[in-house]
Amino acid sequence: MRNPQTSPLRLHQAFAVLGVAFLAIFAWVFFKEYLAEWRTIQAQFRRLERRVKDPHALSLAPPVGGIQQIWLTDLDRVDRCTTCHLGVDDPSFASAPQPFTAHPGAWLRTHSPDRFGCTVCHGGQGEATTHADAAHHRVPYWPEPIRAGELIEANCGTCHRQRVVPQAFWLTSGREQIARAGCAACHDIPGFSGAEVRAPRLESVGYKLQPAWVNVWLANPSDYLSQARMPNFRLTPDEIAGLSAFLLAQRAVAPLDSSAIDWGQANPQRGRTLFGEARCVTCHMVDGRGGTLGPDLSAVASKVRREWLFSFLKDPMRDQPDAVMLRYRFTDEEIRDLVAYLTTELLGSTEPSATPDLRYQSPTLVEQGREAFVRHGCYGCHRFAGMENLPKIGPSLVGVGDKPVEPAEFKGKTVVPTLPNWLFLKLREPDALLAASRMPTYAFTEMEAAVVVIGLLSIRKTELPASRVTTAPQPEPYQPQGAFGALVSRYRCLSCHRVGGSGGTLSTVPLDRIGSQLQRTYLIDYLQNPGAVRVGIEERMPKFGMTAEEARTLADYMSTVFVDDSLDGPFKPDPEATRRGERLFEALGCRSCHIVGGRGGYVGPDLGDSGRRLKPGWIEAWLTDPEGWKPGTLQPNYGLRAEEARDLAAYLMSLTSGVGGRTR
Amino acid sequence: MPDAARLRLWLRSVGRSVFRVGWPRTDKDRAAAMISSFFLHIHSAKVQPHSLRPSYTLGLGLLSFYLFGVLIITGIALMLYYIPTPLAAYRSMKDLQFVVTFGMVLRNMHRWAAHVMVIAVFLHMCRVFFTGAYKIPRQFNWVVGVGLFLLTLFLSFTGYLLPWDQLSLWAITVGTNMASYAPWLGDYLKYLLLGGNVIGPATLLRFYVLHCVILPAIAVGLVGVHFFRVRKDGLSAPARPEPAPVEEERSGRFPASTRSYGLMALTDRPALPVEETDPEAEDEVMAWPHLLYRELIVLLALLVVLHVVSLLFDAPLEELADPTRTPNPAKAPWYFLGLQELVHYSAFIGGVLVPTIVVLLLLLTPYLDSAPRGVGVWFAPERRWANWIFGVLASVAILLTLIGTYFRGTNWAWVWPWTG
Repeated sequence: MRNPQTSPLRLHQAFAVLGVAFLAIFAWVFFKEYLAEWRTIQAQFRRLERRVKDPHALSLAPPVGGIQQIWLTDLDRVDRCTTCHLGVDDPSFASAPQPFTAHPGAWLRTHSPDRFGCTVCHGGQGEATTHADAAHHRVPYWPEPIRAGELIEANCGTCHRQRVVPQAFWLTSGREQIARAGCAACHDIPGFSGAEVRAPRLESVGYKLQPAWVNVWLANPSDYLSQARMPNFRLTPDEIAGLSAFLLAQRAVAPLDSSAIDWGQANPQRGRTLFGEARCVTCHMVDGRGGTLGPDLSAVASKVRREWLFSFLKDPMRDQPDAVMLRYRFTDEEIRDLVAYLTTELLGSTEPSATPDLRYQSPTLVEQGREAFVRHGCYGCHRFAGMENLPKIGPSLVGVGDKPVEPAEFKGKTVVPTLPNWLFLKLREPDALLAASRMPTYAFTEMEAAVVVIGLLSIRKTELPASRVTTAPQPEPYQPQGAFGALVSRYRCLSCHRVGGSGGTLSTVPLDRIGSQLQRTYLIDYLQNPGAVRVGIEERMPKFGMTAEEARTLADYMSTVFVDDSLDGPFKPDPEATRRGERLFEALGCRSCHIVGGRGGYVGPDLGDSGRRLKPGWIEAWLTDPEGWKPGTLQPNYGLRAEEARDLAAYLMSLTSGVGGRTR
Repeated sequence: MPDAARLRLWLRSVGRSVFRVGWPRTDKDRAAAMISSFFLHIHSAKVQPHSLRPSYTLGLGLLSFYLFGVLIITGIALMLYYIPTPLAAYRSMKDLQFVVTFGMVLRNMHRWAAHVMVIAVFLHMCRVFFTGAYKIPRQFNWVVGVGLFLLTLFLSFTGYLLPWDQLSLWAITVGTNMASYAPWLGDYLKYLLLGGNVIGPATLLRFYVLHCVILPAIAVGLVGVHFFRVRKDGLSAPARPEPAPVEEERSGRFPASTRSYGLMALTDRPALPVEETDPEAEDEVMAWPHLLYRELIVLLALLVVLHVVSLLFDAPLEELADPTRTPNPAKAPWYFLGLQELVHYSAFIGGVLVPTIVVLLLLLTPYLDSAPRGVGVWFAPERRWANWIFGVLASVAILLTLIGTYFRGTNWAWVWPWTG
């Protein structure tokens, strides 16, 4: 037999080499499987377990072996993290090294691994069985790596949809920041409907503003007020001219007539006194001190016209039906003096321009301004007649937590191209990522932007089963009718106070049971002449100048409607109980925070006249469970018995002297 | 008789019922072994040394067949874990990677073998052309081969969708869009393929059934026909100087048959030693062991290479398919990127006209180029023009594929691969 081409020897050699190679490779396949990362880690765990546990505990411990997984059927999610994180639910491994460390905190008690797995809260690729693939850090083709640090709170928010999530501080701050900044004015954001900012209506703004101020404000609001709520829209000079003309041409409702006022008689000094007496700083900031409910008045002189201000102080609801500001009972002279004070002393650093620009008379310019007004979505915050049905101009943020980002969008930036970074950059410098963005520049600090990112990341695309979602019901808006309703509206009680969960948050005490807490006669007195119950607090009820008739109407209503029957028990003065209560009062050291008889601390309310102010049932209930009535209160819970609380109430009800009362 | 001896005898009879010839020690037995085995009789008992020469065939047809075998075996193993519904399909891929024993090696091997098979089949076609092996009497087998080439592409294409990740979804989207460029039929074709207007669960099921049942069945049938023709016609070889008549006379009852059938004559006359009595077989060698041994070595080499590649390189798996998120550029599977490059110039010309003409040309090749010259040698000078034309067309196809793969970026704009 002739042999073609290849000699048998060379064939044999090739066969031998390939045969050995094949066996070797096949062995490699087996070894690769056998030496899988998780097997090695489980072996380490078994060694650690023998060190950490005593023989008895060891004998009770379940055997460790094989891939472990938690299957969340309703989410169609498989988490195999516990294949390596073997000590996660075992306190004996509290100080063990990773991956065996026990889970810190009490989280696993409230979020049982059987029901929540791991990645629901932490993110990462739960299906993986190697450290790298589990996306402990960013890996290609897995959208959500483990959320490190505070970012994990974004995942809390996926299920916890209510605004305030008590144990997720950063998430809650983020959501509150989103609501405060008014993001929902331009964007459709799940959970934030109705959280639009209520900026002033502008239909009559032509009467209100000084033309020079409009230009300064539009160019960059923070040039006028460093804490301006309106963001910088990065308007071009042409747009500013147009918008200015458009705004100054808006004259729907003329201000109240002030032609009879003799401005020469105005006394700014009296105005300043009145400004203090009316507690304007509760809502308005002046030179860095004061509240934030109303606009900062430090430089109001350069902003508004005198005639408009007069009209506004007389009736704020005239051109601002939704005004937060209440309607004081000032006389024309008082208003004149107040206006004089505001327009002559509160000049700020920006000098008002001497020559008003009158270009607003050009109709083309006004039309251009209207177009710019619509283009920039100004109507989102400044509700405007005829623009109620225009759509929100920003893109919907439904599912923004799953928004894919392209690395190309980060051109020129040195950050890792992730969604959190994208959102952060977008919030800080809206123009940094895409060529042109209509989103205005907010003066977010880094911290504010970061918490907003956490709030946004919690808004995911996938719908969760209802059983996984927790929400807080939206409070119904409280709108009382009749004489009481008219007064509540006039004095804008709900700008600061809450009833049934709706209203302002400046006052920390809801009015829902105020009739069971305070005595009617005290209420009548207080409404006419409000003072500070706690002297250390800056925010105080303004002095409305309410008539006695009005105060009675309000107090009657509150004493009959805003009551909690559980607080209204029978009370009989008992000298023995009063003495016991007094001893207890001294023993507990109540005086270190409360003033009684002219002596005591300034932290809590003055109790010198509590017998004329408070109702005994309330004192008793309050002392038994302060935190239950007012979460976050400074009042300690002394764990008082019912008799002790009753004795204290008896003592406090006996204090009617008002010696220490600093009624201001 | 001792029990042990009887048992041995009994076992021997059982063995003989399966392997009738036993381990062959003579050429006659070797021939008989080849013929009596279902699996071996696909070979002739004797082969031309010419066809054993690696430099002639490059083993490409054999490799393609082996790859097909590897794909069937790994494919069946993968089917045990695969669920053809969108989310579960992707989950299956993750399970194969993270949980299933040998799962990743299996998937890698299936993936890489599929890619290599496309290349092997293409090169096999080139080899057959450049050696003129499609000429009479093998014209029809060339046509069957072209069918198998297209089938290979379609098999790979249907398998591409099954992982249900971004890569597969958009590659199939691009691929099926190209199908829709065909006039009149295009949209119907696309609708038929997708089971709807967009890729969805119905598409996945369709592609699954095509990939795992229909196309493999057709491929097995066509491979059978292909091999049957090879077996009947023998491997192509240079024309022999000796004229045929002697041969026909000697082979007696089968005058029209080719030389492999000489074996039948041989078995009819068992008394005659093969080497001396059959002049026709004078330059032939026994398939056992010469052919089988070489085939075994090629198989081993292939398995070693496939395993190494599968251990070192993981098959790609991107994010879960998201029909709302189009990657830029969205690329078809790589073997269609030449086509996509053409489509980029003109949808109709590139997507319909050129491929149709190319396929028609391929099918008609043996009938257009029918002169029986230059068979059995590489680049025969007699076939200079045919080789030039085919060579240029094949090079253009490769070039376009390379451009589409490496030189096209966002919006199908030209990029240099080293700048990305």
